[in-house]
Amino acid sequence: MILKRQIPILIVAIIGSITLFGWFIDEPHVKEFVGDDATQWYDILASFAIILGALNLIKLQIQKVLYQKPGWGYSLIAVFGFLFSITAGFFIKGVDDSVAEWGAHVTSDGTLFKWMFDYVFSPMSATMFSLLAFFVASASYRAFRIRNFEATLLLVSGIIIMIGRVPIGGVISSWFVMYIIVLCAGVYINSWKKDLKTTFTFVVICISLVTIGGFIMGWPIDQPSVFYLPSIQEWIYYYPNVAGARAIMIGIGLGIFATSIRYIIGIERSYIGE
Amino acid sequence: MSKLENTFLKIGSVDRRWIFIIIAFVVIIPLLVPIGMPIRATDTSKDVYDAIESLPKGSKFLLSIEYSPSTKPENHPMAISILRHLFRNEHMVYVTCLWPDGQFMAQDALSQVAKGEFGKIYGKDYVLLGYRPGGEAVVKGIVSNIRKLYSVDSRQTKVDEIPMMDGITNFEDFAFLFSVSAGYPGTIEWVQYAADPTGVPMSSGVTSIQVNEVMPYVQSGQMVGVLAGMPGAAEYEALIGDKGTATSGMDAQSIAHLVIVLFIVLGNTAYFIERRKAKKY
Repeated sequence: MILKRQIPILIVAIIGSITLFGWFIDEPHVKEFVGDDATQWYDILASFAIILGALNLIKLQIQKVLYQKPGWGYSLIAVFGFLFSITAGFFIKGVDDSVAEWGAHVTSDGTLFKWMFDYVFSPMSATMFSLLAFFVASASYRAFRIRNFEATLLLVSGIIIMIGRVPIGGVISSWFVMYIIVLCAGVYINSWKKDLKTTFTFVVICISLVTIGGFIMGWPIDQPSVFYLPSIQEWIYYYPNVAGARAIMIGIGLGIFATSIRYIIGIERSYIGE
Repeated sequence: MSKLENTFLKIGSVDRRWIFIIIAFVVIIPLLVPIGMPIRATDTSKDVYDAIESLPKGSKFLLSIEYSPSTKPENHPMAISILRHLFRNEHMVYVTCLWPDGQFMAQDALSQVAKGEFGKIYGKDYVLLGYRPGGEAVVKGIVSNIRKLYSVDSRQTKVDEIPMMDGITNFEDFAFLFSVSAGYPGTIEWVQYAADPTGVPMSSGVTSIQVNEVMPYVQSGQMVGVLAGMPGAAEYEALIGDKGTATSGMDAQSIAHLVIVLFIVLGNTAYFIERRKAKKY
C-alpha cells in the first residue's frame, strides 16, 4: 500500500514543490534541476509514454477485431497501418546505408517510411482537414441565424472577419458598406415603426448624406476607415478578441495553479487511480 | 411576392450536397484560373518582415516547425517565405521540431529552398536538428542547454561535428526565433518558456484558428508581429516579393468566404420568412 499510494504522492509533492519554487529561489542546484534535469526526466518519461500509448492502442484495436465489435473493420485497418509503420520504421528501410542511415531514414527520400508519409499519411491528413470547408459552409447556412442580439453580434462580427481577412474585403469600398448599413437600418426601422413613409424618408435622407459625403471626400475606398472592412476586422482582432482571449487565459492560468497546488499537497490523486 | 418567398424557402431547405458542390466549385475554379486579387499587408505581417530584415547579416536564426500535413496549405508557405527571406539575407538557420510530422515538413521546405533555390550547404548555412518528444520540456531544454537535448541532428550526425553548431549552447545564442505553429506544443510554449524569460525576440506564423490565442502576446510586445493564417502567408510572400502558393490560395479563399456569407444571408432570409409565416398562422 505504501509503495502504491504514499510513495507516489510523496514523489509528486517533493518534485512538484521543487519545480514550482525553483522559479522563485536563486539557488544554482535547484535552478539546474528545474531548467535542465527535470526537463530531461520529462523527455525520458515522454518517450516511454509514446511506447505505452502505442501498445495500448494496438491492444484495444486487436481486441475490437477479435471480438468483432461494431466498426471492427476500421480497427483491422488501424492494426495493419500500425504494423506497416513499425515495419517501415524498424525493419525495412528501402534504401542502402549510403543513402540514409537507420534513424535518418524516416525523413530521407526513397525510403519506405518517407513513401508512407508522402503518399498515405499526408493526403489522408489533408483530406480530413479540407473537409472542414464543406462542413463550415453547410453549418453556417443552417445554424447561423439572427435569433437574438447576441447571435446577431456573433453573425455580424463573423461576417466582417470572414470578408475583412481576405483580399476581396480590401476591394469593398467603405461607401458600399455605408449604403448596406443604411438599407439594413431601413429594414429595422420598418419592422419597428411599421410605417413605409417614415422608412422611406429615413432611407432617402441617409443615402443622400452618404452620397454627399462621398462626393466631398472623393470616394476613397478605405475612408472613413471605421466602415472599411479590413480596418474593422483588425480592430475586432486587436481589442474585443484580445480582451476575451486574455480573460480565458487568466482563467486557465488560475485553474492550472489551483490544480497544481491540489497535486502538490496530495488532494488530487487521480494519477494513482483514486 | 409569395412566389419569391417560396423560392427563398426552397433555397432555405436545399440539400446540403448542393452546398458541398458549390463550395467545391468556388474553391477549385479560382485555383485553376487565378484572379490575382491585390494583397494588402497588415501591420502584424509588416512587423515580422521588418524584424527579420533588421537582423545583421549572418545572424543565428532558430526556426521551429510545429505543424503537420493537415495544415500544410496554411503553414508551409510561411516556412518557405521565411526561409527565402533568411537565406537571401545570408543568415544561419537552425531548425527544430516540436511535432513529429514537423520534421518532414521542415525537410521538405529546406530541400526546396536551401538546397534547390539557394544552393546552401548543410551544416554550414543550415542544420535540421529534428524532432524531440516532450513539448514544453523540449523548449526548456533548448533554453538551458541545447547540446544535452540534441546530441545528434536529424541525419544522426554528432552536433559537435557540425561547424555551424560552434558557439551554440543555449537559446540565448540565437538572434531570433520564428515558430511556424499549428497548435500545441507551439508558439505559446515558446513565448512562455523561451522568448519571454530570456528576452530573445520571437515571432510566429500560425493557423487562422490560432490567431485569437496568440494575439494577446503580440499586443503585449512579447512577440514581434504574427503571420495570421493563409492571408498572413500571402502577405509575407508579397512583402518579400516572391509570390507562392498562399497568394494563389487567397483567390479561392476570398471567393469561398464570399459564398459562405451569401449562404448565411440566404439562410437567414428563409428563416425570417418561415418565422413570419409561423406568426401569421
